[in-house]
Amino acid sequence: MKEKFAHWDMLFVQYLKRDWKKIAIWVLGLGLFSAGLVPAFVEIGKGDGTIAMYETLQNPAMISIVGPTPVETASEYTIGAMYAHEMLLFCGLFAMTISILHVIGHTRKEEDLGLTELIRSFQVGRQANSLAVMVETVFINILLAMLISGVMINYRIDGITVGGSVLFGTSIAMAGIVGAGIALVMAQIMPISSSAIGSSLGIMGFLYIIRGVTDISNVKLSMINPLGWFYLTYPFVENRWLPVILASLFSIIMIIIAFALEEGRDMGAGYIPQREGRANAKKSLLSVYGLFIHLNKGVIISWLITFFVLGIAYGAIYGDMQGFLESNELMKRMFAYAGFSIEESFSSTVMVVMAGLVTILPIVIVNKLFSEEKNLYLSQIYGTKVRRRQLYWTSVSLAIITSIIGVFLAAGSLGGTAISVMENSPMNIMDFLLIGFNLLPTILFFTGLAALILGWWPSLGKIVYVYLGYSFFLSYFEGILDLPEWLIKTTPQSWLPKIPMEDFNALIFIIITAISIGLMIFGYIGYKRRDMIERA
Amino acid sequence: MTAILKVEGLKKQFGKVQALRDVTFNVKPGEIVGFIGPNGAGKSTTIRILLGIIKRDGGRAEIFGKDPWKDSFEIHKRISYVPGDVSLWGSLTGGEIIDLFMKLHGSGDKEKRDYLIERFELDPRKNAKGYSKGNRQKVGLIAALSVDSDLYIFDEPTSGLDPLMEQVFQEEVEKIKDANKSMLLSSHILSEVERLADKVVIIRQGEIVETGTLDELRHLTRSTVILETKDDVSKMANINGVHDFVQKDNQGIFFADHEYLNDILVKATKLGTKKLEITPPTLEDLFMRHYEG
Repeated sequence: MKEKFAHWDMLFVQYLKRDWKKIAIWVLGLGLFSAGLVPAFVEIGKGDGTIAMYETLQNPAMISIVGPTPVETASEYTIGAMYAHEMLLFCGLFAMTISILHVIGHTRKEEDLGLTELIRSFQVGRQANSLAVMVETVFINILLAMLISGVMINYRIDGITVGGSVLFGTSIAMAGIVGAGIALVMAQIMPISSSAIGSSLGIMGFLYIIRGVTDISNVKLSMINPLGWFYLTYPFVENRWLPVILASLFSIIMIIIAFALEEGRDMGAGYIPQREGRANAKKSLLSVYGLFIHLNKGVIISWLITFFVLGIAYGAIYGDMQGFLESNELMKRMFAYAGFSIEESFSSTVMVVMAGLVTILPIVIVNKLFSEEKNLYLSQIYGTKVRRRQLYWTSVSLAIITSIIGVFLAAGSLGGTAISVMENSPMNIMDFLLIGFNLLPTILFFTGLAALILGWWPSLGKIVYVYLGYSFFLSYFEGILDLPEWLIKTTPQSWLPKIPMEDFNALIFIIITAISIGLMIFGYIGYKRRDMIERA
Repeated sequence: MTAILKVEGLKKQFGKVQALRDVTFNVKPGEIVGFIGPNGAGKSTTIRILLGIIKRDGGRAEIFGKDPWKDSFEIHKRISYVPGDVSLWGSLTGGEIIDLFMKLHGSGDKEKRDYLIERFELDPRKNAKGYSKGNRQKVGLIAALSVDSDLYIFDEPTSGLDPLMEQVFQEEVEKIKDANKSMLLSSHILSEVERLADKVVIIRQGEIVETGTLDELRHLTRSTVILETKDDVSKMANINGVHDFVQKDNQGIFFADHEYLNDILVKATKLGTKKLEITPPTLEDLFMRHYEG
């Protein structure tokens, strides 16, 4: 027995030395994110904010996204209850994801890279590495729990109790440990590290969706779900510790299973044989367009789902919009305009936010062409009949098409959900789509900017994100901060009328679209003339 | 015969670095040209200019009588290219990537592809993420060899291939040669070029330092001679054309100038030759001479 784990402690210390920077970022980043948003929630909760939020989050659509709360009347919905309700599940999923990546990175990935082979040639036990990685991951998660609990206790706010804070931190840490257990098992079963990562994250996503369903139909069923063992602890309300015990038992069982599986397999091999890929390409791949769709598929699908879900989440708020916004001065200043219904003014601001997010997708797609170029993936293609014109315009047009779909999904799901939760909606679906597509020229403008940079100064591609972040920030907080007009005008979002408070302006719409297309054409001139940059 | 690839006084600058100073050579129809130089000498830069991936700063370049920057589309219809560093998308299998490259090139031969996959012993169903350097190289080579071209440009084609696969590659190149196609073959591995090339172009620090057939270049250097004689072999040491004479028992080892070869042999027979070995200079020797000089 001892032999199997020989020198695990040495490996553990090595890992801490190797990873300390990563650990610091992990613990500080996730810890401060998990604990640091309390003041923002205090702000939201002012006045009748908690009551409004409570009503909003009773909506089944919201429950399926953030989970349920045991609080039965709005008056008992404290800041702590609200914070745990909205934050715990997501922070837990974050902790889980990072732990999964970490565990597989140090187990299966190192096998694939051949590092394990070297380590094993020394006097190191067969399972010493797995043990060392698990101990390290548990240790990191404990640090994380301590930081989160410590920060929260230090707020000394009503409703954020010491017991609740400790449980909140512990729950997030347990999420990480459960993830680590699942990852360690998958690392034994799967043939290569990427499929181990894919299946672990897939299991997590599957459990998340299942719990969305059971949370609405019967919360008791969510307690069979491993995710339920961290997000159903209800810190600050019921402070249940039983799920934490279940999660610990589950993790221990997973680790034992993983060790048993590891004992019986060859290094570098899993229990599921490597799936055979295709020997020949499908017809749909065999063109520049097919290739680029394939390369961007993952990004496109995941972003489109995000837009859709976000639309639902914002749309769900419409049911109790009145109470939600009127209770809170800050919210009111952000979202309300005099003389218009609160739904109308909220729609306008929220679409600016969503359009800002939709803009990320086309920028990613345009920038992808340069990262392919730089990383030598296109080298052999340059020697074929493919012209630069094709590479450039395929990327740009793919970016434009996905932004149109993105706007449609975001505005459509926002409108659809909003209309279904409102008793008598002042707006119909076409109104929502108009609000959304009115902002399309800003998205095209950013896409044009990215294309311009791709053509002339490709290594500066990240700058577009900075500008997007800047204008996103300004247009979001326009109502709160008293900003001078000229400053606001530096953001493309401000060039277009605010529908429905202002009328749609076809001239401006066409002009900005034309400028954007001009940027793309000018970018093409640069792309056609410059050297391809291949960092060999 | 007019050259199908012609380069004259080619220049290229990257920032402050003068990557190419003066590159001049040509490739004639049916000719296999070895393009030799150490890493960083400018081989890949020259090839990238020839493919229109980067733009030349000076000099002339021509393939099939066309400008590689302006008419790259026309030129690419008739060439096959394999880059020195083949990067492959990890989400596709080798087979899918070969099909893609062939399709983008046009005029691919499926039977030839299957034949080459078998010869190079590539598993086309494996995700490219799992391929070694050699396997990635095979993907590039199979795709390039499966299409019909008039000019093949290979940048360090055998790096990462094991000796058996290198052999297969050389046999496939022989076939291209027999079909009277042309090839530009860059390498710093001298032996592969020595076997295949009709002509060698040596580049050093962005300048062509030597061009010619192997035979022509060999005149520049001396052969190595090992001679064993009945009488005292040390008498060989002082005749014209013998250099760096070393004696070991009755055996002498020395370098011989080619123009004095006859005198040397006459003298050797007088001493009663028991054993004679003459080794022509390898490219290695050519190479070393240039880099030492």
